[in-house]
This record gives sequence, C-alpha cells and structure tokens, in this order.
Amino acid sequence: MPLKIDNYSNEILKGISFSLEAGEHLIILGSNGVGKTTLAKVLCGMTPSSSVSIDNITPSKVYGEKRAKLINYIPPKLDVFDEFITVREFLEIGTFNNDLSIDASLEKLHITHLTNKACKMLSSGESQLLLIASALLHDARYTIFDEPTANLDPQKMQLLFNLLKDETTLQSKLIITHNLDLAYKLGYNILFLEEGAVKFYGSNSDFFTQTHLDALYDGSVEKRENNIVVKL
Amino acid sequence: MKKIILLLALLLLAIAPFFGQIDLPISSLFNANSMEYKVFFDIRLPRVLLAFLIGGILALGGLIFQTVFRNPMSTPFTLGVASGATLFTAIAIVLGFSTLSPLFAFVGAMMTVLILFGVASRFERYDSSSLLLVGIALSFFYAAALMVMFYISSLQESYEIMRFTMGSLDIVGFENIIILALTSAFLLAVIFNYRYELKLLLTSYEFAYLKGIDVKKTNYILLFAVSVAVGVAVSFTGPIGFVGLIIPHILKTIYKQSADKLIVPIFFYGGVFLVLSDLIARNLGTSSDIPIGVLTSFLGAPFFIYLLIKRKSS
Repeated sequence: MPLKIDNYSNEILKGISFSLEAGEHLIILGSNGVGKTTLAKVLCGMTPSSSVSIDNITPSKVYGEKRAKLINYIPPKLDVFDEFITVREFLEIGTFNNDLSIDASLEKLHITHLTNKACKMLSSGESQLLLIASALLHDARYTIFDEPTANLDPQKMQLLFNLLKDETTLQSKLIITHNLDLAYKLGYNILFLEEGAVKFYGSNSDFFTQTHLDALYDGSVEKRENNIVVKL
Repeated sequence: MKKIILLLALLLLAIAPFFGQIDLPISSLFNANSMEYKVFFDIRLPRVLLAFLIGGILALGGLIFQTVFRNPMSTPFTLGVASGATLFTAIAIVLGFSTLSPLFAFVGAMMTVLILFGVASRFERYDSSSLLLVGIALSFFYAAALMVMFYISSLQESYEIMRFTMGSLDIVGFENIIILALTSAFLLAVIFNYRYELKLLLTSYEFAYLKGIDVKKTNYILLFAVSVAVGVAVSFTGPIGFVGLIIPHILKTIYKQSADKLIVPIFFYGGVFLVLSDLIARNLGTSSDIPIGVLTSFLGAPFFIYLLIKRKSS
C-alpha cells in the first residue's frame, strides 16, 4: 500500500513525483525554504491535492479515523491554544493506538514526570518529546517528522535517534531534517529537494559519498570515518 | 475557593427575586391573592430567570468564539451578530412596528449569520481571521446604518432605539422564558455533542485536522449554534456587552482547567453574573433602573483589567 505523489506543482514545488512502500522509511533533505514542509503538508492533506494517494485514497478527501490512520504530521513546534491543557490530556485526544498506553508512551520518551504539566509550560525540547509520544499514540501508517531534533540536548538526541531507528510502532517514517549525521546513521533512503524539485531519490549509501556531498553542499560537508561533519 | 463561590452564587440566585423597588417578604409566596405574590411570580422570577439564561448564553457564546477564532478578545458581538439585531430593531421602531421588534432583531441577527457564511463559502480556503474581519466590517456598516436610523427617526423613536442599545431585562410572564430555555438547551446540546472536536480545536487547527476532524464544518456548526442562540437572546434584551468576554476568562483563572471542561460552569456563572448585575441595577435607589448593559460594562471592564494585570504580573 504505497504512498504516492504524482507530478505535483504549486508556487514552491515543481513536478514532484515519488512513491514510498508501506514499511519503508525516508529521509527528506534540502536547504532552508526549498519546500520540505510544504511537501509534508501536501502529503498529509493539510494542503489538499488529488495528486496524493495512499492505497488509492486521497487523504484530504476522507475524514475521521480513516484519514487519521493513513498519515500524520509532527510539526517542529508544539502549537496549543488553551493554556491549561495538560500533557496527559493532549495525548488522550489523539490516540488511535490500542497497543500502547499513554503511560508507556511517556516512559518511552522519559517524560513521565511531565504528565500533569500544562503543555504551554513545557520547554521546546520537552514539547518536542511530547510530540514524538503523540506520534506513537496516533500510530498512522505514514508519519512525517518535521525537524524532530531541532531543540534537543545531546542525551535527548540519542534517545530520539534510537527511537527513530529501532521503534517498531510506526510502520513508515518520513523524517525531514538538516542533521546529516542523523540522516546518515539512520541509513534510510534519501529524498533530496532542490529549488522545489526532486534532485535525488535513492539509497543512503549512494547519497553519502564525498563527491556527491561536495556537489550538493559546496564542500561544506565532510565524510570522516563513520560521521558526516559540517566544516566550521 | 470554588465551593465558597458556588455557595455564594446559589445564595444570590435564591435571594435575587426578593429585592427590587419594593422588597418582598418570603411570606408573600404563600398568599396567592396578594400583590406581592403577583410581583414575585409575574415580574421578579421571570426577570431573574431571564437574566440567568441570557447571561449563560452570552458567556458560553464567548467561550466558543474565543476557541474557534483562537483569539481571546472575540465574542459573538465581534462578528456583528448583535449589531445586526440592533439595526433591525431600530428599523422596526422607525417603521412603527415596535411591538414586533424582537422578531426584527432575530431576523437581523440571522441575516448577519447568513451573510457571514455566504461570504466565507466564497473563500478558497477556510480562514477564520478573514471571517472575523468580515464580521468587523459588517459591524461598522451596521453602526453607520444605525446612525441613519437615528437621523430619520423622531425624538420618541430615537429614545426607544437608544434604550434598546443599552440592553434591558424588562419582561413579563413565562412565555419568553420558555423560548430562552429551549434556546439554551439547544446551544448546550450542540456544544456537548462537539466536545471532542472542541477539545482538539483547543490545541491547533492542524492537530485537529490530522486527527481526522473536518475543521471547517465543525467551526461552522459551532458558530451557527452560538449565533442563533445569541440572536434570540439579543432580540429579547438588546445587546448586553462584556459578559461573553469576561466570564470565560474569569472562570479559566479560577478553575485552571482546559476550556472543554468549563462548559457548564461558564454557562452557570455567566447567568449568575447577569443576575447579580441586574440585582444591583434594580437596587441603586434611582427612580428608574440603570440599563443592564451599562452596569455589566461598569462592573466588567475594571475587573477584567485587574485580572489581566494580576495574570501578567504573576
């Protein structure tokens, strides 16, 4: 049951086509403003388009649990309007996963101590972990993470890396990131966007060769032993 | 704290009908032939019930508008619903149909709702802030049209229009109370039915959408239910400001819970607030009652500012 987008264009994106089989993961790379988040919003139906289909269903045309189960998007920042909604309440309203309890999800992310704290009072790193917990509880077939590591300290970064690599709850993960080392270590296929178009779509090992990196990043990135390092 | 407030509120509701231009002894309730008995059941009790239901509807309407528009300053009055009702009441008075003015007010409120939704359906994408701007534009238009009504009306008619715009709880008998009770029941039923959606809207539109909610439809249904209820309320009493703005804020400050849990408390205390305001308005010892809208604003505005200062400084 593949996720498909067929020749989609708007003001930013130009003729985007690709597909992703269920159970496969994908890393989406590209410089700032190139259209990664725009693409994510098109894929999950927040920007409706009939170019997108999952199992021949266009997500923006269905409602209720039917759509929720297809695809989910985890934004880089938590947005909560009400100032008194707690972490637990936030997780309660978005749960479609019968195999994972809220307590278990909190434990996985090491945020059990935040259960009764208001979402508005969380630090940016804490709210990022809360969003990841909500993704596990939501349990869509495809989950798009938009810069999930942007605000994390080193320990939390490790925690998240292990979750993204080994967590089996989520069937297919699409990870938008600027962290090339993370992308390299996860080992998933790479989709590279440039000027709103797909510049590269292929395996991790083909993407992370020094010559390829030099061509894409103007020599600002270096492959050293087992790490991808930004030259500073 | 919550229990003490609840106790005081219940006490207030119980004693409110006994005070006014003439204070009634409790014994009057047991003598069906006395004048006091008639005053209590034909005037005081309907008036307290009216104040309670109107206050409840306006406060709950405020909560829903604040949630849907994600703007703590929006109330049903912001979208021009009340101004529409006021304008049409003025038209009724100028045309010499002042006895039919509640009907005109209702038509004015509903027409505003239909215009709003008609305009919104032409938006390519659903956008609550554009809807809010349309409402504000309509309010200004109605205000100008109201000026025209003042201009072409006689002195007597001008006075009647002026009194309506200040809000009034003068009412006799129980027929109107039944209509308002049904309206309140309708509003509460719709909101309870959409409680899950409402809670999702308290996070973000995006989050609600991803959980499968039809955000546009949900917002329209909630706004429509509130507009109908407020239209009915305004047609009976004229626009009464500030209840919809301050009661949700005060209740959130006291309860410290998410808004979806405060539906019943906000309705209840909105009602209590208006009963209290009316009780004060009736007992200031002036030759005629102070208009209720004036009083809610006098009580509400300073208290609201006090709350804001207290919250921002803590």
